[in-house]
Amino acid sequence: MFYKERTIIKLEGVTKVFNVKSQKVTAIEKLNLSIYDGEFLCIVGPSGCGKTTLLRILAGLEQQTSGRVIISPREPEKPLNSMVFQGDSLFPWMTVKQNVAYGLKMRGVAPKDYEKVVAHYINMMGLSKFENAYPHQLSGGMRQRVSVARAFANDPEILLLDEPFGALDEQNRILLQQELLKIWEGTFKTAVFITHSIDEALILGDRVLVMTAHPGRLKAEIKIDLPRPRDTLSMRANKRFVELYEQIWSYLKEEVIKAKSAV
Amino acid sequence: MNMTEEKLKIKIPREKEIKNVIVLESEENNQKRSVFGLDGIVFKICSLFSPLLILVLWELLSKLGILDIRLFSTPSLILKSMLPVVISGELFYNTFISIRRIVLGFLAGAIPGVIVGLSMGLFPLIRLVFQPIVSAVFPIPKLAIMPLILLVFGLGEVSKIFVIAMGVFFLVVINTMAGVLNIEQIYLDVAKNYGASRKDFYLTVALPGALPMIFAGFKVAMGTALLLIVAAELSAARAGIGYMIWRAYDMFDIERMFVALIMMSVLGYVFSFVIDWIERLAIPWKHN
Ligand SMILES: Nc1ncnc2c1ncn2[C@@H]1O[C@H](COP(=O)(O)OP(=O)(O)O)[C@@H](O)[C@H]1O
Ligand SMILES: [Mg+2]
Repeated sequence: MFYKERTIIKLEGVTKVFNVKSQKVTAIEKLNLSIYDGEFLCIVGPSGCGKTTLLRILAGLEQQTSGRVIISPREPEKPLNSMVFQGDSLFPWMTVKQNVAYGLKMRGVAPKDYEKVVAHYINMMGLSKFENAYPHQLSGGMRQRVSVARAFANDPEILLLDEPFGALDEQNRILLQQELLKIWEGTFKTAVFITHSIDEALILGDRVLVMTAHPGRLKAEIKIDLPRPRDTLSMRANKRFVELYEQIWSYLKEEVIKAKSAV
Repeated sequence: MNMTEEKLKIKIPREKEIKNVIVLESEENNQKRSVFGLDGIVFKICSLFSPLLILVLWELLSKLGILDIRLFSTPSLILKSMLPVVISGELFYNTFISIRRIVLGFLAGAIPGVIVGLSMGLFPLIRLVFQPIVSAVFPIPKLAIMPLILLVFGLGEVSKIFVIAMGVFFLVVINTMAGVLNIEQIYLDVAKNYGASRKDFYLTVALPGALPMIFAGFKVAMGTALLLIVAAELSAARAGIGYMIWRAYDMFDIERMFVALIMMSVLGYVFSFVIDWIERLAIPWKHN
């Protein structure tokens, strides 16, 4: 089997029901889904459709109510997954360096062994000057860069990214997308990336999944046959890019309207 | 038609004719206004002046017989009676005794307080067991158990240290527990996702996350410790600042009493300064 063809994560009829004050909220319902080893998978869907819930189940932070999640790692000695969380998740009491080193330190790697790795990812994110700064001294864009560096430095097999650039301004988002692609390409890591931006999904992904409005199910799957390595700026003008954009939007539009009318 | 005619009548002034120019000054040029800033010299003088003014007023009112000199003395008399107490070493000896009691009592209460508070915050079972005990004992004024403590521990140092420790302990427990319980969920998720063990979680998330609340608890507890030391030294003490105050009361030596009170105020200031200083070292991420 080839790279990006072997299934690394398989979801079979996964349902998650939250009990909120004796009311049942179905976040995702009977989700069937295969994620391939080494692919960059983007998931889009209206807000509240269960994207974060899905990612938290994959991360083991939440347990599905029913259904099965089968994960078959390629390199079982590596950490299975590392998450880049939605919103601020850096420890305020740790410096940039300490935050990036967190996963490695927790795994018992000795400082002399991880220092180089940590410095490498801090450098790739352009934060060398700030390695001893605390998060409150950084801008929002810089903090997200640290979050991404923390996940990569941990060297997991699967990266889970929950709208990591959602709160950033346009300029920072473009830069971070470029930087993310740069450090992801050549790592052979599987990435599951959640976003509300079709642009972003097309720029980054090998495949885009559209989820239905609440409760979350699979609406459509679109293969992004745009060549890599990608030039995140010029590709927007590509004819294929525009076609794919319209295709995804046509699926998403229905769900966004549904989500709106449900409120 | 009329409107456009009106408009056309408006004369556009030439640059030279404009008289009303508004200039937004740079920071460098606003020295004149720094009086209104908190760092203005006027404010410094004022803050130095106000206690001085009170002292002068106090002196005057006493001299004029408006304040009863037997009860309130005067600043000059207090100063005069301060000298022999300082020279004989009596003031410093008593201060030293009190400081030792406060420090030992504070540590004896705060260290177990942090440990119990962290455990209660982290482990629901421990919280379930200890919460009712804390809730029941905390509201009892520690002064009320002073007699019991004297009966149990006798008249020595231990009883004074113990009563301070009691007062400090519960405040620190409650603040530490609240500090842990208020740590944002996202940090717990990060720790779990990145594989933190129980012990790592304790040290890398629970303790640092709760530190700001723990120090808030320390500050309140220090105030309580100062209150308790005076009360503890009322009964069965042979030295200490509190003892000095009560002795002065017995002998109706108002000046001595004020000397001791001034020392109390200095102690309070020094202790809060020390705690602030440790806090800055322990929580570098809060202060730049
Ligand atoms: N811990 C929770 N408790 C109760 N309800 C939750 C919880 N987490 C998510 N939900 C609900 O599940 C649904 C999906 O939420 P989420 O996965 O955060 O959506 P998304 O990330 O797509 O915006 C929402 O209706 C939300 O209110
Ligand atoms: Mg979300």
